[in-house]
Amino acid sequence: MTVAAGEPIIKLEEVSRIYDTGKFQVPALVDANLDVAQGEFLAIVGPSGSGKSTMMNILGCLDRPTSGLYTLDGQPVDELDNDGLALVRSRSIGFVFQSYNLLPRTSALDNVATPLMYQGVPRKERLRRAQAALERLGLGDRMTHEPSELSGGQQQRVGIARALVTEPALILADEPTGNLDSHSGAEVLDLFRDLHALGRTIVLITHDVDVAAAADRAVHIRDGRLGEALIG
Amino acid sequence: MKITDLFQLALSRLGTGKMRTALTMLGVIIGVASVVALVSVAQGATAGISNRLQSLGTNLLTVSPGFTRTGATRGAAGSATTLTIADANAVGSLSGVQAIAPELTTNKLVLYGSQNETTRLIGTTPGYTTVFAYDMWAGTFLNQASIDNNLRVAVIGATTADNLGLTETSIGQTIYIAGLPFDLIGITQPKGGSTSADDQVMIPLSTAHELFVGSNNVSAIGISAASADQIDTVSAEVTSTLEQRHGITNGTDDFTIANQAQLLGTVSSVSDVLTLLLAGIASISLLVGGIGIMNIMLVSVRERTREIGIRKAIGARGRDILSQFLVEALALSLAGGLIGIAVGVAASFVIGIYGGWGFIFNPFTVVVAVGFSLIVGVIFGVWPASQAARLDPVVALRYE
Repeated sequence: MTVAAGEPIIKLEEVSRIYDTGKFQVPALVDANLDVAQGEFLAIVGPSGSGKSTMMNILGCLDRPTSGLYTLDGQPVDELDNDGLALVRSRSIGFVFQSYNLLPRTSALDNVATPLMYQGVPRKERLRRAQAALERLGLGDRMTHEPSELSGGQQQRVGIARALVTEPALILADEPTGNLDSHSGAEVLDLFRDLHALGRTIVLITHDVDVAAAADRAVHIRDGRLGEALIG
Repeated sequence: MKITDLFQLALSRLGTGKMRTALTMLGVIIGVASVVALVSVAQGATAGISNRLQSLGTNLLTVSPGFTRTGATRGAAGSATTLTIADANAVGSLSGVQAIAPELTTNKLVLYGSQNETTRLIGTTPGYTTVFAYDMWAGTFLNQASIDNNLRVAVIGATTADNLGLTETSIGQTIYIAGLPFDLIGITQPKGGSTSADDQVMIPLSTAHELFVGSNNVSAIGISAASADQIDTVSAEVTSTLEQRHGITNGTDDFTIANQAQLLGTVSSVSDVLTLLLAGIASISLLVGGIGIMNIMLVSVRERTREIGIRKAIGARGRDILSQFLVEALALSLAGGLIGIAVGVAASFVIGIYGGWGFIFNPFTVVVAVGFSLIVGVIFGVWPASQAARLDPVVALRYE
């Protein structure tokens, strides 16, 4: 599904996520309202414990809001079942994680090709597309390497290739530079800038204001509440 | 996901922990191998016994005299001398009887050239070959003329021929039985099995009666029924005929009838129970093997929690994860099953050679064993796989 021109890719309306521990009701996200337009590069900035991870889980369709409406790429997702959410993740979202989260003992090529497997793409086709994605990220000579044989920066670029290979509507990056040295981190952020220039929609979640500066717009999150725009 | 993707995933996974994979499969290998080998051994042993029973004669009934009683002591069956040549003739004229072979049995010294041995001497009739399923290796068997004329002719068993140094070229030679000269007219084919069936000398009933035994009492009457389903009828007829001839009205017969079909039936029902028992015991080890698979799969789900979270984040549905782990368990048990079949077939081959019944390969057992190992894989794989499929991706991604 694609959105009509002008419609936001992400639309959160009064979204809350409250964890029920049995004794206490812990509000991790409260009445969040957010629009992210197509092609936008947004950073969500907040210290640890601010509700960043909850935000990321909700936006990534890994978790459901307790209340409120969430529309992703024109599709209301807050009432989908587990399979429905898996389908949305498969088609519309590309994740980039802080700790890369590549499949162990699996070559870079197979790692990048795996999301396509869950879309039912034939093996030949998905290897071709995975190879193209890796080559675009300058990893053409690392395709048979397993994650343990790659540097952190290389692993994160494999992770980005994996997020890109399905051509998702949204790239969701959770502290993508958190485990990298400053040089590799800057490279990764440059990569996001390039992707943004090519028209990709990117949401970057971080605690680091300097990292957030790579985005066009940044919003603040604290105690589960979205704050004013920091940039843009 | 396509089934080929699932198998590719499973194979690459099993390839990464070869030692663990091998040890996990070992349980199934042992289980399947013992099912295949034990069933094959049980069937081989049964076939061996049945073959030997069959070689004793076709549709055979054996009538033996009853027992003697000395005071309060009951003698062995056959110790009485109640069956006569006339009884045999009467039985031979019953309908449904294909052939009879009365036996006058004694032990005598047989001599040819410088070789001699004491062996069983049987006075009988031409029906003997039919009743006891003998074929001729050389020469001919006793004919009616030799009975009618009390001829001094002899047919010897294959073992006796060996012992005395007689071959097919020796037909027509003279052998001496208890010092009396006999013409050798035939040598029977070896039957194998019990060698005693091949170590005997057969002469005309009338000649044995005249020269060696004296009385009219026979030691046994072999009866061949015309067909297998007539055995019971013939047995009843023989019983009533002999009771009538011996004037028995109270049912305490002075003879016994052994029925080969009954014996075969007993053997096969015993062996069925034995096969079932062995297969049952072997199945227990298959069950233990299955539990081993479940154990490893549960550990594996725990170890790979993060991997499951990653897979879910990049688009795997619950059923994709379920089938991935299920196919892994199936691949383990199926590979174990196939190796187990190879080991089991090899073992039953070796045991069959030593056991003397040769190699019995039962495709049905193999099909059942493969099916069973697949079922084991599914049953013991489903639970760990569904545990994996149900994992919450948020929790699984955070798992260290």
